[in-house]
This record gives sequence, structure tokens and C-alpha cells, in this order.
Amino acid sequence: MERINILLTGVGGQGIITMGKMIGNAAVNAGVKVLVAETHGLSQRGGSVQVHIRIGDVIAPLIEKGRADFIVGLEASEVLRNLSYANKSTVFILNRQTIKPVVPSVNAPDIDAVVEKLQAFSYYIVDGEEMAKDAGNPKGSNAVIIGFMLGMGFFGKIPREAFEKAMITDLNRKCLNAGYSQALTAKNNGGSRPAITR
Amino acid sequence: MMPKAKFMIGNEAIAAAAIHAGVSVAAGYPGTPSTEIIENIKRLGQDVYVEWSINEKIAFETAYGAAISGGSGLVAVKHVGLNVASDPLFSSSYTGINGSLVIVSADDSSMWSSQNEQDNRFYGLHALIPVLEPYDVQSAYDLTMKAFEISRRFHHPVIVRTTTRIGHVRSRVVYSDDHEPQRGRVVKDPSTYVLAPENARNDRKKQLERWHSISDYLASLCSYDPGEGDAIIITGGISYSYVRETLDETGIHANVLRLDATVPVPEKTILKYVNGMKRVLVVEENDPVIEMQVADILLKNGIMVEFHGKDLIPMEGEMTFEKLKGGLYTFYGMKYEGSILQDEPLTPRPPALCPGCPHRSSFYDIKKGLSRVSMQNSFFSGDIGCYTLGALPPFREQDAATNMGSSLGISNGVFRSTDAVPVAVIGDSTFFHSGMEGVANAVYNRTAELIVVLDNRSTAMTGQQPSPSTAIDIGNVCRAMGVEYVETFDPFDAESGEKSIQNAAEYVKNTGKPAVVIAKRACALEVLDKIDSETPKAYVDQDKCTGCTICYNFFTCPSILPLSNKKATIDDSCIGCGACVEVCPFNAISVKGEKPVGWDEAWNA
Repeated sequence: MERINILLTGVGGQGIITMGKMIGNAAVNAGVKVLVAETHGLSQRGGSVQVHIRIGDVIAPLIEKGRADFIVGLEASEVLRNLSYANKSTVFILNRQTIKPVVPSVNAPDIDAVVEKLQAFSYYIVDGEEMAKDAGNPKGSNAVIIGFMLGMGFFGKIPREAFEKAMITDLNRKCLNAGYSQALTAKNNGGSRPAITR
Repeated sequence: MMPKAKFMIGNEAIAAAAIHAGVSVAAGYPGTPSTEIIENIKRLGQDVYVEWSINEKIAFETAYGAAISGGSGLVAVKHVGLNVASDPLFSSSYTGINGSLVIVSADDSSMWSSQNEQDNRFYGLHALIPVLEPYDVQSAYDLTMKAFEISRRFHHPVIVRTTTRIGHVRSRVVYSDDHEPQRGRVVKDPSTYVLAPENARNDRKKQLERWHSISDYLASLCSYDPGEGDAIIITGGISYSYVRETLDETGIHANVLRLDATVPVPEKTILKYVNGMKRVLVVEENDPVIEMQVADILLKNGIMVEFHGKDLIPMEGEMTFEKLKGGLYTFYGMKYEGSILQDEPLTPRPPALCPGCPHRSSFYDIKKGLSRVSMQNSFFSGDIGCYTLGALPPFREQDAATNMGSSLGISNGVFRSTDAVPVAVIGDSTFFHSGMEGVANAVYNRTAELIVVLDNRSTAMTGQQPSPSTAIDIGNVCRAMGVEYVETFDPFDAESGEKSIQNAAEYVKNTGKPAVVIAKRACALEVLDKIDSETPKAYVDQDKCTGCTICYNFFTCPSILPLSNKKATIDDSCIGCGACVEVCPFNAISVKGEKPVGWDEAWNA
């Protein structure tokens, strides 16, 4: 079957490992093979973090450089640090959030500058934080983005029910559904929220 | 009947296998990427004795003692942790055991969270202990089961060696039923287990006999995927997964031999499959452990082939498709193009001390206290823990941090060669791991050094495992060992913290003896775990803030951010610890909100 390579990038503490687990559980629920490669330990504390998710007919855990189908930035600028995993068809999904590195005299990256560098690619920006807050779970931007990707059809044949089952709490399910509806709006091109750009 | 299956990380698979194989005693010391093995045995193994020992040597000896008694023992440590346990490791191979002893060595290729990427398969070659190497998460389960079986069958320890992409990869694992834990009974056999020279010489003969029988047995622990042509790829561990997927994808029909036991490489197996081949490529992560053994076998048997290994597959860092394809394509006379795009060079984003971390305050207090006695440029002899991050700006208070407990020994040497009083900085869990000996040495040999113990009441970096400091008072330990100057301060109380450091530094300079200062306050994550309700928040009074930048450039709490007018603001990640309040010279920061129930108790645990 087809292979889907998803690279999650972000900053330790954003819930990126949980996001990997949720997607992994959904694939398992659907009876689809999945490998999720995480890094633990030091990388959890405000540092750059990557989670590799490989779905389908896969054996090895890490994505080959240049072969990611999707690169997700829970922190938007982190996708740029991992650009070598992209090719010209890679789709980027950015959370509308940037975080200041905990380094003296350095400011948070500017999301417009990030987007500027992605002009040659397809990309979407999701208001993950705001939508998660609206759904009642300020920490649920990871679930919002999963919902968005699901609505866009980025998870192949893994059905929506498999993702709903993979959400441990009702609040996360609300976030998932919020992201899902947002994707449908984006696809219909009649969105009232200016949250998504292509 | 449907097999049972669960989505789990490799470390949980190893834990489950140990329980299903009947482990009765499991011990370890936390260390990435091994930690979740012991955690999961604790969680899942109802009748298993599980402990976090104070260091890997004790953990090893605990599992070893259980195995001497006929029980099933497991010790799980990170690669560098096995260095600490290497003394009993060698002995266990000499004496053998009555039950089973499985040693899980979790190696950290690419050094995601370690000081080196040493390849612990060498311990197998060195100590004559077989090494089984999983190639995916399911095989981590299966081979751990197998390790217990081999160990019990041959009365010999067995190493299961994983790397980060085995232990920290999540996958669906099919598993079997629990086995009753195999406990021991007291065995008195001093002629085997007392390694006095005469006994050791006898044991040595038996060890070599066991080693040869094990080598023969391991010949069956491999898998051969026949292909076409006169070339064979010999591989093992995670590398196999990359080889298999690449061959499937590219349609290269190579013959592939996968070794599930990479130490010792069985001679019979190699002769059987290399026979008739003209070209050999060994693919393995890290060091040429399979390669050296295969080359040796071929040489001894007079077999001439075109032979490749580390000349084509890099030794540095973990296995990736890029590394494999670079070597494999060259082997087949092709060229690997690789990715066209490059990563953008962004400002590095190193890990940081958390909001509310008492270490940040300690580093701030230490620097200010030392500058009162012109010692701010001292050599900071650091150690392993969250506080190693104190090496980063703005603190720069770790000039060396090389291994667990290194702060005290290194500082002794620095003092001996320079006569300049050094500052040794060590955490509470590391203190009990291998710091106490350094304190004893400093007293005994009279080292003029300032020892600062950062006691956050937990083994924080690996996920807040409990620390012996919650049961044993570090100050009392130091006093009992003869340290005459011992003081404790609260790092959030900056004024008294600076004063404590100043006084202790003066004492060391005046007396030439070591002094111990303990900065005691609980890990912020530990506090948050105990608190259910909303925490207070710190706020910046914009009228009072002058934009001096001290709070965000010199204290660097991640919750404090600069505004475009250089004034400070505090975001939602603030946990209301209040440590920044005293840091502001203009009294612009205050904490608002009720203290939750148990707040002060949690911080002062």
C-alpha cells in the first residue's frame, strides 16, 4: 500500500510526542501499519524536537531526507530547520505560533518570514492555539492540527472514527472536530475565518 | 485465538517481554534511552521486585545476586551506565549464574541525550557475554524473551543491545501471556562465586566452555533472505530495517543475512552463507563490530572476497536511509542523489531550564555570590543532569561535565594543577550516584573546593524519578564524612543564597578545606504534578519596568519575554513560582493569585 511520511517539528513541551502517539493510535485502530520515532530526555525541555511518523508499507523508522509528504510545524519556524526532509511536492502545515528560543537577546521568529521561505511549496496555516482555546482545551492545538490534516484527507484511508477513538479526552475530540471543520471550510474555499492561507 | 497486540514503544516491549519471561528482580538507574524499561516493569509487573538503584553498579549487582540465587534478574541501563557497572559485568561472565541474567544496554547513537555514542557490543566481545540485537520493536520483545531463555539454558548472562530507534520507536507489538516470576533460593557455592584467584582460574575454564557452546547455539539466531547474484549484505540491529526497506523499494535483489546475535558472530553461519559469494557488504550502526568478526572468520578460513563495511557506511551517528543508500549504491556501482533542499540555518534552539526551575535561581545566586569574593571566573566543574544546561549563556557555569560524578574528581585535579579554588556543581541524584566518593576524597586529601549540591528532590532530567535525597539528608552525609562547613539555602531567596555562596567561598579560601552548600528546592515539574488547581501568575508593572533586560537576558526564564520597547512581559507558561520577583531591581514584578492547597509544601518537599 501507499506510504505516508509525516514529520512533526516543534519545541519540547508543546505536546509533540502526544501528537505522534495520537496519530499512531489512529492508524493502529484502523489496522494500518505505523511507526512513530520519538526523542526523549533532554530534547523535551524547550529545545527543537522532531517526531517521524511513517504509515503504510514501511519497515524503518526514520524518514529519508527529501521524502517527507507532510511537514508539520507546531512551532512554525521549526519546519525551516527541517527543510532537507522536503521535496517540491511536500505540503507544510503550520501552527500560527512561534516561540522565542531561550537564548539571551534573541526574539521569537516572525511567522511572515517563515511563510516567505515556503513560497515554492503548498502550505496551510492553522490557528491552532486560538481554535483549541475556543474548544475549551488551550493545550489542544496538536489535536486541532490532526483534525485539519484529517479533513484535508492527508491520512489516506485511515477513517475519521479511528482518530476520534484515538483522542483520549472529549476536549481533544472537540479540538479534532474543530480542525476537521476548518479543513472542510478551507477546501470549499468559502471560509469565513482568515485563518488559512494557501 | 487472536493474538494479543498493543501499540507501544520498544522499551515497553522489552519490559513486557521480561515480565512474560518470568523476571522476578529488575533494577536500573534512569538514563535516556533506557528509562521506560524499568518504569514499565514497575507499572506492569505486579509480582516483580523493581527498584531504581542509586547507580548502575548497584542495579547490576542486584539483578546478578538474584540470578546467582536461581531467580530471573534484569538490569536496564543506558550505554554509559554500563561503564559504571562494568566491574561486576566481567565477573558475572566468569561465575555464570544459576538462574537468568539479562542486561539491557540502551545505546544512544547520534547522542540525542548523552555524552558519547559508545557501542556497547564491545562489552560482549570483551567480557565474553553474548549480545542479541533487535532490529525493530517486535523483535525487541521476541529477543528479550529469547535472552532469558538462553541465559537460563547456559547459566550465563546475556546482553540485549538496543539503540534509540528501537527503544523510542512506537509500533504494534504482538505479545504472549505472563509467566510466574522465577524467584530464587539461597545458593551457597563459594568455590564459584568467590573470585579468589584459584576459583577465578577454574571459573575461567568453565566460562570459555560456556562461551563455545553458546557460540554454537547462536548459529540458529539469524535469518537469510535469498536474492540474486554473488553479493551478500550482512547486517544486524536497526540497520536491517533500512536495508530491507531499501531493497524492497529499489528492486535490488541482494542476498541478505541478518544476525540477531551480533556477538559472537557464529563462524558456521558466516561460512554457510558467504560460501560462493564474491562480494560482501557489512551494514551496521556505529562501530565495525560485526565487520571485524566476519573479517576474522574469512581470514582464518582462507576465504578471499571483495569486502566492505565502514569504508562505505559511516561510523558516526545513527543509521538513516541517507547513510545506508550512500554506501549501498556505491557497492552496486550506482550514485545516491539525496535531498536537494538544505535546512535553513536558524538560531539554535537548545533545551532550556523550565519555568520555575530552581536551578536557574541557583546559577544566578552562585554567580552573584562568587562575584562578591572575586571568584566569578572560577573553574566550574559540572556534572550530568538538567543543570548541565547551566553551561549555556547567560550562566556559563559548567566548564566541564563529562560523566556522572565527574564534578568532584575533575575539580580536585584542576585545583592540584592550578592552586585556584574550583566550584563543583552536582545534583542530588548524581550526588548519591557517584558524588559521595568525591566528597570523601576531598575531605581525605584536603581539596580546597566549593561544592554546590543542587538538590531539586528528584532525578529530574529523565522524567522525575524519585531521588535518594528524599530519604537521606545530604548535609548529614557530608558532615558524617568530615566536611566541617555545610550550609543549606533556598535558591528562590536570592539574598541569602548569594550570602551562603560568599561565606562558603571565603571559608574555602581561608582554610584550604572543602565546603558544601546545598541549594534545596523541589523541581518545578514535580510541584506541578502535585497541584490540581490553577497556579498563581507573575505580572510586570509596565510603569515600573525600565527595560533593563535583566529578567529576560540574565535570568532567562522562558516565561519572561521582551516587548518591542524592551520592557518585559510574562506569558501563560508562567507557573507563579515568584523566583523572578527578587531578580528585578525595580520591583516591577509581582505575583498575583491565590496559592493553591499544598503549594509551599510541594516546593519545600
